Amino acid sequence: MGKKILVVDDDEMIRKFLRIHLVNLGYEVKEAADGIKALEQLDTDDFDLLICDILMPNKDGWQVLEEMRSNPRTKNLPVIVLTAKNEDSDMVKGYGLGANYYMSKPFTKAQLLYGLKLMFEETPEE
Amino acid sequence: MTSYLILLGKGRVIDPHLSHLLIIGYILSNLLLTFLPKTWFSNPKLFYPLVVMDTGIVSFGMYLSEKVTTDFYLVFFLIIIFASISRNFKLLMTIGAITALLYGILLYSWGLLGPENISSYILRIIFIFIMTAFYGYIVQTFTKEKMKQLAISEDKYQGLFENANDGILILRDSKFLIADVNKEVEWLTGYKKEELLQKGFIHLFSLLEKEKVLSYFQEVLQKGEARTDSYSLLKKDGMPLEVDLSIKRIDLGDESFYQVIFRDLTEHRKLEKKIGESKMNLEAIFDGMRDQLSIQAPDYRILRVNRAVVENYHTTYKEVIGRKCYEAYYRKSVPCERCPVAVTMETKQPASSIMKISEGDTTFRVFSYPILDEKAGLVSIIEYVHDITEEQRLQEQLIQSEKLAGIGILASGVSHEINNPLSGIIGMAEIALEEEDASKNKSYLMDILKCAQRISEIVKGLRSYSRAAKKEELSLVDLNEVLEDALKMVQLGSKTIPVEVIKKFQPIEKIEANRGEMQQVFTNLITNAFQAMNGRRGMLIISTQSLKDLVEVKVSDNGMGIPPKYLNKIFDAFFTTKNPGEGTGLGLNIVYRIVTKYEGTIDVESKEGIGTTFTLKFPIRRDG
Repeated sequence: MGKKILVVDDDEMIRKFLRIHLVNLGYEVKEAADGIKALEQLDTDDFDLLICDILMPNKDGWQVLEEMRSNPRTKNLPVIVLTAKNEDSDMVKGYGLGANYYMSKPFTKAQLLYGLKLMFEETPEE
Repeated sequence: MTSYLILLGKGRVIDPHLSHLLIIGYILSNLLLTFLPKTWFSNPKLFYPLVVMDTGIVSFGMYLSEKVTTDFYLVFFLIIIFASISRNFKLLMTIGAITALLYGILLYSWGLLGPENISSYILRIIFIFIMTAFYGYIVQTFTKEKMKQLAISEDKYQGLFENANDGILILRDSKFLIADVNKEVEWLTGYKKEELLQKGFIHLFSLLEKEKVLSYFQEVLQKGEARTDSYSLLKKDGMPLEVDLSIKRIDLGDESFYQVIFRDLTEHRKLEKKIGESKMNLEAIFDGMRDQLSIQAPDYRILRVNRAVVENYHTTYKEVIGRKCYEAYYRKSVPCERCPVAVTMETKQPASSIMKISEGDTTFRVFSYPILDEKAGLVSIIEYVHDITEEQRLQEQLIQSEKLAGIGILASGVSHEINNPLSGIIGMAEIALEEEDASKNKSYLMDILKCAQRISEIVKGLRSYSRAAKKEELSLVDLNEVLEDALKMVQLGSKTIPVEVIKKFQPIEKIEANRGEMQQVFTNLITNAFQAMNGRRGMLIISTQSLKDLVEVKVSDNGMGIPPKYLNKIFDAFFTTKNPGEGTGLGLNIVYRIVTKYEGTIDVESKEGIGTTFTLKFPIRRDG
């Protein structure tokens, strides 16, 4: 399929297992460790999906969402938000800022697959 | 003189025995007169007969000695004395004239007024008359002077009588007819003086009172005076008049007068009632309040306590008053620890402290205030004891709930910290399960182990917090350690906020406190500092140092600062500038409560856009 996914998380372990899963599923994976680096990559590269953590140093997930949504280039890029804080208020905030899917840590591969399925079925319509 | 006349005269008494008998009679009668009580002479009723009798005896002696012709004029001196008793000059002159005439008639009848010696006898009559007139004049003048003095003293008496503030009545004889009254009586009873005179005093009383008054007068008749509490007089207008009555009998000659003094009690009663009422009010306040109030001497001896004291200690006034407070209340032999009364005794200044009474688990806030005399000496101490057990319980609850809120914040921080490695474990495990190349699995397992170790680290870190959250008793707390723990905890939950923390810890004395509460104080302050710096690259400076007998902690941030208009509100409960649901408004309030609980102080300095510094000072307890 060759779809390109940007994985943003300050936790190296999370990036690592996501990469292995996604590569095994046949996606092309790029990584970023904080919000600023993520936005830089989004600016220079084209992606089909963004998987982004919320709590990160420098710019957090909310800021990344806000900025990319106001950028025409990435305005419609599907985004899966990852959060370690299991709080409903976070979920509401995430959707409000334009997240397409919300996954709370810890999550299983099945949940990830479900998310991916949702994202890639929706996108062509838009 | 009479004896001489009888003895030597060649008069009518020829028998010498009779003559001797008469002489003895004279001497005896004179002796008798000498030994008579002196008061008899001042009583006219006795004095006049005595003088008349004496004069009679002398005259009789003269008559018996037939010396009347030559010596009768001597009788005149007696007459003069007799006359001087009378204050009436006219009467005296009349007596003088009659006596002179009588003498003349006697002389004439005895044929002494012969032509050869008539002139000498007539001269004698005139001389007698002149002497009478002369003595009469002297006596008169003397009497007048006396009368004048009497009049003056009477004036004085009248002044006293009329202007007395008490009603005074003079009553006559056993029927108690009113003979005189002063102005006060008129004013008090409403009767005119004329209306009162000749009226029976008894008729001034109501029918009900008459009986009582009569028996009272009976007492006066017997004892001469009496005094009672109060009677109800009837005024002219029929209104009762409460009076305090006192009666005294005054005997003047054969007549008895009664001096009645009565005082209007109505005003007195009113005043008494007022004083009574205000006293009762004070008493009611004193006893009505649920707080314990006692007045103590400067040696802890209890002078007075209110009812709350008696009830609180299940004792009696009798058992408490006069004893030292610590003996009376707690059966101790020394004053209680931290007793503010001891402080007041030393400093003569008000003092207060919180005292925990082990039995019953009661907490009191005790205030003591000095009562000083004009020389600033300590007279007594007022001790005011307010039971704050409930207050403290509520405060504890509040602190506890804030603690729970803190745990909530922590929990979300912790869940973030744990969920990340947990995600790693799950993710890696799933990958390992799918992996067919077993040689690769080792690296996945290593990752899983790493993640598990991270979780274990976090759990260890939490232990300090859970220990702090437990309700601990007081212990010696090193604030530097508390600050380290609090900082770690806050950082755990605020990882994303980039803050540079500068610690300037100096070795400081330990303070006696509840560690959990201290941790709460600094967790709150550091959290606030972190939040204040949200979105900007911040710097947090935490410094500690020992001052004289204080420990000082400063928490400074270069955050957004507090607007001046909020500065005096930040310690108020439920004051918050955060959005609803984000802040309880209890954080700094709890900080304030905890700090003041340990008799510490907290000051805040803040400039908008520059930063905020909280300065906390805690006293070091040397006795703790």
